[in-house]
Amino acid sequence: MIDKTLLAIENVSISLPPGADRPFAIEDVSLTVNRNEIVCLVGESGSGKSMTAHAILRLLPDRTGVAQGSISFNGNDIAKADEPTMRKLRGGAISMIFQEPLSALNPLARVGQQIAESIITHTKPTPSKEAVDARVQELIRDVGLPDPVALARSFPFQLSGGQRQRIMIAMAMANNPALLLADEPTTALDVTTQKQILALVKKLQSERGMGVLLITHDFGVVADVADRVVVMRNGRVVEQGTVDEVLRNPKDDYTKSLIAAVPGARSLTKADRKITGEPLLDAVGLNKTFITKQGMFLPPRRTDAVQNISLGLKARETVAIVGESGSGKSTLGRLIMRLIEPDTGSVHFDGKDLLSQRGERLRQMRRKIQIVFQDPFAALDPRQKVGDAIAGGPIAYGTPSKEAMADAKRLLARVGLQESAANRYPHEFSGGQRQRICIARALALKPSVLVADEAVSALDVSVQAQVLQLLAELREEMNLAMIFITHDLRVAAEIADRIVVMRRGEIVEQGETQKIFQNPTDAYTRALLDAIPGRAMFAGPGARQAEVASA
Amino acid sequence: MTAVSVDAKGDRVFAIALALAGWVIKFIAVVLVIATFNFILVHAAPGDPAQVIAGQSGASDEKLLAQLRAEYGLDKPYPIQLATYLKRVVTLDLGYSYRQQRTVASLILERLPATLLLTATAFSLALLSGIILGTLAGVRAGKWSDTVLTVVSLLLYATPVFWLGLMLVLLFSVQLDWLPAFGYVTIGVPMTALQRMVDIGWHLILPAVSLAAVYLAIYTRLMRSSVLDVTHQDFIKTAKAKGLKQGRIIIRHILRNAMLPIVTVAGMQAGALVGGAVVIETVFAWPGLGRLIYDALLQRDYPVLLGVFLVMSVIVIALNLLTDAIYRVIDPRVSVRAAS
Repeated sequence: MIDKTLLAIENVSISLPPGADRPFAIEDVSLTVNRNEIVCLVGESGSGKSMTAHAILRLLPDRTGVAQGSISFNGNDIAKADEPTMRKLRGGAISMIFQEPLSALNPLARVGQQIAESIITHTKPTPSKEAVDARVQELIRDVGLPDPVALARSFPFQLSGGQRQRIMIAMAMANNPALLLADEPTTALDVTTQKQILALVKKLQSERGMGVLLITHDFGVVADVADRVVVMRNGRVVEQGTVDEVLRNPKDDYTKSLIAAVPGARSLTKADRKITGEPLLDAVGLNKTFITKQGMFLPPRRTDAVQNISLGLKARETVAIVGESGSGKSTLGRLIMRLIEPDTGSVHFDGKDLLSQRGERLRQMRRKIQIVFQDPFAALDPRQKVGDAIAGGPIAYGTPSKEAMADAKRLLARVGLQESAANRYPHEFSGGQRQRICIARALALKPSVLVADEAVSALDVSVQAQVLQLLAELREEMNLAMIFITHDLRVAAEIADRIVVMRRGEIVEQGETQKIFQNPTDAYTRALLDAIPGRAMFAGPGARQAEVASA
Repeated sequence: MTAVSVDAKGDRVFAIALALAGWVIKFIAVVLVIATFNFILVHAAPGDPAQVIAGQSGASDEKLLAQLRAEYGLDKPYPIQLATYLKRVVTLDLGYSYRQQRTVASLILERLPATLLLTATAFSLALLSGIILGTLAGVRAGKWSDTVLTVVSLLLYATPVFWLGLMLVLLFSVQLDWLPAFGYVTIGVPMTALQRMVDIGWHLILPAVSLAAVYLAIYTRLMRSSVLDVTHQDFIKTAKAKGLKQGRIIIRHILRNAMLPIVTVAGMQAGALVGGAVVIETVFAWPGLGRLIYDALLQRDYPVLLGVFLVMSVIVIALNLLTDAIYRVIDPRVSVRAAS
C-alpha cells in the first residue's frame, strides 16, 4: 500500500449564480491525488482549474458551491462536511499557496507572525511563545531562506517575490500537511526564481511524502515536476494520465494543440531572412537613472535603469530584448522611442537624430515608431469604440476620417477580427482579441518600427501562439522592424532574428538567436536558458528535431 | 531589491530625526503663510475697528477716527502692519483686543478648552462608532442589517446639523427633560469638582452627538466600503485557508487594513471639525472658540479674529502631522520607505 489515494474528487460540479454565462463553473470533474506524488492540473484561463482546487477547501467565491459529486480526503467525504471540520483541515492536513505572493500576505503584519498564526490556530493547547518562535524559524530555514530571526521580523514588502513565495510555502508547511494545493505558485515570478521554487516544492514533497495538486497553465512546468497530469478545458477534464503518456502521446486534440502551442517548439523565423544594410534605428551609449525624492533631508534614491547601452536595429529585423523584472528592458524600449528622455546617449532613426527633433518633425518621426503594450485590458480606452481607437492615429496625421475608418476596418479584418468590430467597445472582446486590436491600432500609422513590450505575456499559450504567428506574418507584409521585449526566452526564440540579454540595466550578451541558444557565452544567459521550464521537453530551436527523432 | 536590513536601527533613528526636523520646518513655514493669508483676508473686508469703536461711542468725527487709527497702528501701510503682525506671531504674541480690553491670548485660552472638549468628544464618538458600524455593515454586506445601517447613515448624512441639534433639544430637553438644552455648566449652583465634571458631561451630550452625526455617517460608509474592499483581497483568502475563524479574520486581518483610508480622511476632517463647531456652539450656546469668532466678526475685532484663525490653523496642521505619524505606525510600508 504505497500509493494510497489521498484525495479523490468524483463527478464534482460547481454551480455558478443565476445570470452567469454558464450554469456550472466545472462539470463532472473527477481526479485523484495519491500520497507522495505531484499531480498537475493544466488548463487555460476559464478552464475551471482554480475553481476545482478552491472547492477542495471550500474557498469558493460567494454564491458558488459544489452542486454534485463527492470530494473525499483520507477516505472521508468533505464536500458536505460542516464548517468546524473544514476549518480544521484548512492549513492543517490540507494547505494552499497562491499565485501572487505579495497580495497573498497581509501587508501590515510581520511574516513571522503570519506563519505563527498558522501554527497557533492548529495546535491545542496553545504552545509557548518560545516554542512557536522556534518552529517559525525552523520553517523559514526549511524553505531555504537565510537569517530566519531577522526574516521573521520583516514585512512582506521588504522581501523579493521569491522570498515571499517561500514564506507562503513555510506557512503552508506549518502543520505538516498531507496535501498541498498550489494555485499557479510560480506564474508571477521570474524564470530563475520559478525554477528554485519548483525545486523547493518538489524537495518538500518527496521529503514528507506529501500529495501535491499543482495548478499551472505552463506545460513546461508540467514536464519538470509532474508525476501525473490532468488537462481541463471549459470546466471539464479532457484528458489525464502520467506525465509521459500525456506529453509524449496526447490523445485529446485540445491537449495536442496546447502542447503544440508551448512557445519555443516552433520557429516562426527562418534562419536567414536576408537582413542587411545600415541600421534603421541606432541607439548609442544610452543611460537612464531614475531619481526618487524621499523627503527634505534624505538622500534621493537612485536606480540605474539603463547603463551605457548601444543597440542597432536594421530594417525588417526583429530584435528580442530579454531579461527578468528590473533588468531595464522596458525602460530601454521607451528610451528608443523617446517616450522618456535618456540622460546621455543618442538615438538615430533613418539617419536623423531623434533626440534633437522638435515639434512637427518629431511628430512625423514618432509616427514611424509604434508600440504595443503588455496588458490589452489597460491599453484600450474602455469608452472609445474600437474603430475610433484605430482610426484616431491616422486622422490625427491628416487622413480624412472616412478613409481612416475604411483602413481601420481592413486592418481589423487583417488581424483576424470582423469588420463590424469597429463599432464595438473593448469590453466585448477577449484578451487575445484586444491584443489584436492593439496591434491594428499600432499598424494603422504604417510604422517602420514596432516595439512590442511583453505583448504576448498576458495571453494564454494557444492565443499567444496565434498572436505571434500574426506578428510574424505582418512583419513580412509591412516590412516591419520589431523590438520584442519579453521575459520569456521561448517566445524570443520563435520570433527573433537576434536576442539581446539584459540584466540590471546592462547588456550581458547579444547575438543571433540560434547562437544564443546553442552557444551562450555569458553565465547569466546560461542560467536563464537553464531555468526555462520543460527545457528537456521543449528545447530551443534546433533541439526540437532531435527530440522528435529520438522519440 | 529594496529589502531593508532589519538591523539598521541606528540609521532608522537618524532618518526619523531628519524627518522630524523636516516636519518642524514645514510646520513653521505653513503657519507663517497662513498667518499672512489670514491678515490679507481680514483686511480685505470693508471697514476697520476704528470705525466700529468710534461708531459705538457715538462720536464719529474724522479727527477721532484718525486718532484711534494712529493709536492702534491702523494708519500705517498694510505691508508694515503685516510685518508687525508676523513679528508678533513669531514671538507668540497674539495681540490685544481693543474691544474687550484684554489680551487675545487670555480670551482664546478661556474658550479653547470648551471647544477642544466638544470637538474631541464628537470626533472620538464619530470615529469609534463609524468604524464599528461600518465593519458590521461591511461584514454583513447585502443582508438586512447592512441595509438598515446604510439607510440610517445616509439619513444622518443628509440632515442639516443645526436642524438635528434643534430636534434633539426638542426631544430630549423639552419633551423628555432628560438633558440640558444649552450651556456648558449649570450656573448659580455650588458644586464640587466631581459634580462639576458630571454636570459638564451632561451638557456635552447633545452638542457632541449633533456635531458627530454627519461624520459618523461618513466614517460608517467609508469603513463599509473599505471592509468590503479588503475582504476580497488575496490575503483574506490566505487567512481563511489557514483555518482561522471568521471573527479572528475580521479582527486580525480585515480591520487594520480597512482602517488605512479612514485614518487619512479622519485626519483631514479633524481640522474641519474645529471649524464646523461654530454652528453647534451657536445652537447650544456653547462657550467655545466658535462663539468667539462670531462675536469678533460682528465687532471687527481684528486681533481676536486673527488670533483665533491662527490657533485653529495650528491645530489643523498639528492634527495633519499627527495623522502622518499615526499612518506611519499603522502601515509599516510608509515609515520604512522613507528610511530605506
